[in-house]
Amino acid sequence: MYEFLAGPMLWVTFTVFIVGCIWRVVRYVRGLSWQLDRVAYRPHFALGAKYALKSILFWLVPFGSRSWREKPGMTVLFFAFHIGIVFVPLFLEAHAVIARQRLGIAWPSMPAGLADGLTVAMLVAGVGLVIRRLALPEVRIITTGYDYLLLAITMAPFITGLICRLGGGEGWLLAHLITGHLMLLAIPFTKLSHMVLYFCSRAQLGMDFGIKRGGERGRGLVW
Amino acid sequence: MPEGKYCFRRPLQTEEDILHLLSDTRGTNYYKEMEELEVDTADLKKRLDATCKSRIRTWLDICARCGLCADSCFLYRVNDRAPEQVPSYKVQTTLGEIVRKDGNVDTKFMLHAMEVCWSRCTCCSRCAQYCPHGIDMGQMISYTRGLLYSQGFVPWELKIGSGMHRVYRAQMDVTEEDWVETCEWMAEENEEEYPGLTIPVDVEDADIMYTCNAREPKHYPEDVAEAAILFHIAGENWTVPSNGWEQTALCMFAGDWEACKMQVQNVYDAIERLRPKRVVGTECGHAHRASVIEGPYWCGRPDGKPPAPYIHYVEWVAEALRTGKLKIDPAKRIKEPVTLQDSCNYVRNYGLAEVTREIISYIVEPGYFVEMAPNKEYNYCCGGGGGFNGVGRYRAQRNKALKTKRDQILATGCKLVIAPCHNCWDAIRDLEEEFEIGIRWTFLKPLLIKMVEIPEHLRPEQEEE
Repeated sequence: MYEFLAGPMLWVTFTVFIVGCIWRVVRYVRGLSWQLDRVAYRPHFALGAKYALKSILFWLVPFGSRSWREKPGMTVLFFAFHIGIVFVPLFLEAHAVIARQRLGIAWPSMPAGLADGLTVAMLVAGVGLVIRRLALPEVRIITTGYDYLLLAITMAPFITGLICRLGGGEGWLLAHLITGHLMLLAIPFTKLSHMVLYFCSRAQLGMDFGIKRGGERGRGLVW
Repeated sequence: MPEGKYCFRRPLQTEEDILHLLSDTRGTNYYKEMEELEVDTADLKKRLDATCKSRIRTWLDICARCGLCADSCFLYRVNDRAPEQVPSYKVQTTLGEIVRKDGNVDTKFMLHAMEVCWSRCTCCSRCAQYCPHGIDMGQMISYTRGLLYSQGFVPWELKIGSGMHRVYRAQMDVTEEDWVETCEWMAEENEEEYPGLTIPVDVEDADIMYTCNAREPKHYPEDVAEAAILFHIAGENWTVPSNGWEQTALCMFAGDWEACKMQVQNVYDAIERLRPKRVVGTECGHAHRASVIEGPYWCGRPDGKPPAPYIHYVEWVAEALRTGKLKIDPAKRIKEPVTLQDSCNYVRNYGLAEVTREIISYIVEPGYFVEMAPNKEYNYCCGGGGGFNGVGRYRAQRNKALKTKRDQILATGCKLVIAPCHNCWDAIRDLEEEFEIGIRWTFLKPLLIKMVEIPEHLRPEQEEE
């Protein structure tokens, strides 16, 4: 089982994950319509692109947007969660070893202590996000079971991974592999697709504000 | 009952249609019949397939349900933070449901969706600035209004307003004759004070073509006169079209996109007929949105621009002050605390925040201007936007919504509010009527006329003595 999950299945999962994500982006862009969206994307492409970048970047920086600044607690939870979820799997030493041994790719990695810290922060933030969903009426009313399921799917590989790190046995390693595959496979098919669609959606709104809602006058998306 | 005598899916197409619906006072029978109005689910599905594409579907799908939009919404805040007022909730329980059920919704649902779309959102799009994914819920509610309109679920006044645009190409029954006569009358009325004042109709190749809001000729003709006086003083070579002068689009509030196209195309036809160098619109927010921001797309113009540069009145005023075409008498500047209402339509959604402040720098004595908080792109809706002002059925909700602006104005300590937008102006008038906080509110035109210097050659004879 371990051999399969850390071997051939890796290729399957990565292929589905990457092709799936590309497919989501292509489908998104093909579905845009200058007349229905009421944004002249092509004739003002340079201006639109500038605002698309502005629209994306300010939200990737902690406290970069006014929304982040007005909700500092949520901002801390959000970034702790997302920094962990993106960087730990990518640059974990153990993953780099597998990449080298199984896939033959030389891959950089981060110090183990940093990875541990980011994982714990990510899990604490995840629990914080769950509590926030339960505690705040304005979040509770829009939360569905699906949102908790996605939190579970994303937190599971980190919980199991941390247990492995703390000396959990074979079983936990297997659990970590299964939950890891599950998370990657879920990305293109669930709301986790926001991993790529975030960039699409933000870019679209940026082009909207850049091209017709203020960009020409140096305003539009004032953070 | 599929369709009623007053409430039906098809739009109002004739004068008789309009009179018939107007005869049903306050839409009593109209709303009663609406409770039985069947949903044409096949048509709704067809419409979704044709118009609901990746932008909106992705917005619906990836909404993280994080609730960051909640506090951005003035209606959520003013309604004691009722969770049902969270923008995401409002969208997901209306458009979200329609899309998930692929149009298979019933009458009861549509009635609920109508209530949400016209009494719990003014389409101000403030929430769009607060969503991490860049989801513009104002745009989605506006889109949902279009779906509801196509099925006949639209507030009575907006069904009529939309019909007015279809029949008269104006939001009120102002005909071409009425309009031209009003222009002549207003020119005559003010000729004595401003010798040589005219309102030139249908002059080709002028520098400026002026468009306005039908309420001006209908209810406040002095507004047309004021525009004329200011162009006259500024020495502008300007004109108004006999047809195509109406810049507003209540049909945009109604979600009647077909009427929107008819209305705006009429203005564009006038531009193409008279070939002005540019067009100046009146002090109205939604009119600007309709004719300048969205109009080009309704009319299928691929560059997203009207046929000639089309500016808002505040842009013309700022330019006239900057270039000295209009000169303010320093002694007559405003010397009392004064605040400014930022219109969502041309500030947040068009970027004119600094333009209005430039005007303030000329007409207000330094030290007297007080900003509202928040302001500019982050200002709150006046409380009556998106058609909210005009719908009797939701008057109580609208009046409650006005409290936001009331409190913002009270916090400035000002007794004078400059509101260069018809809709904001109305809402502020209504909030004074409702809460009696002792404020005055004004457009820019009357203020400017009181303080602008009249060049010697334009003064009446007796003044020269």
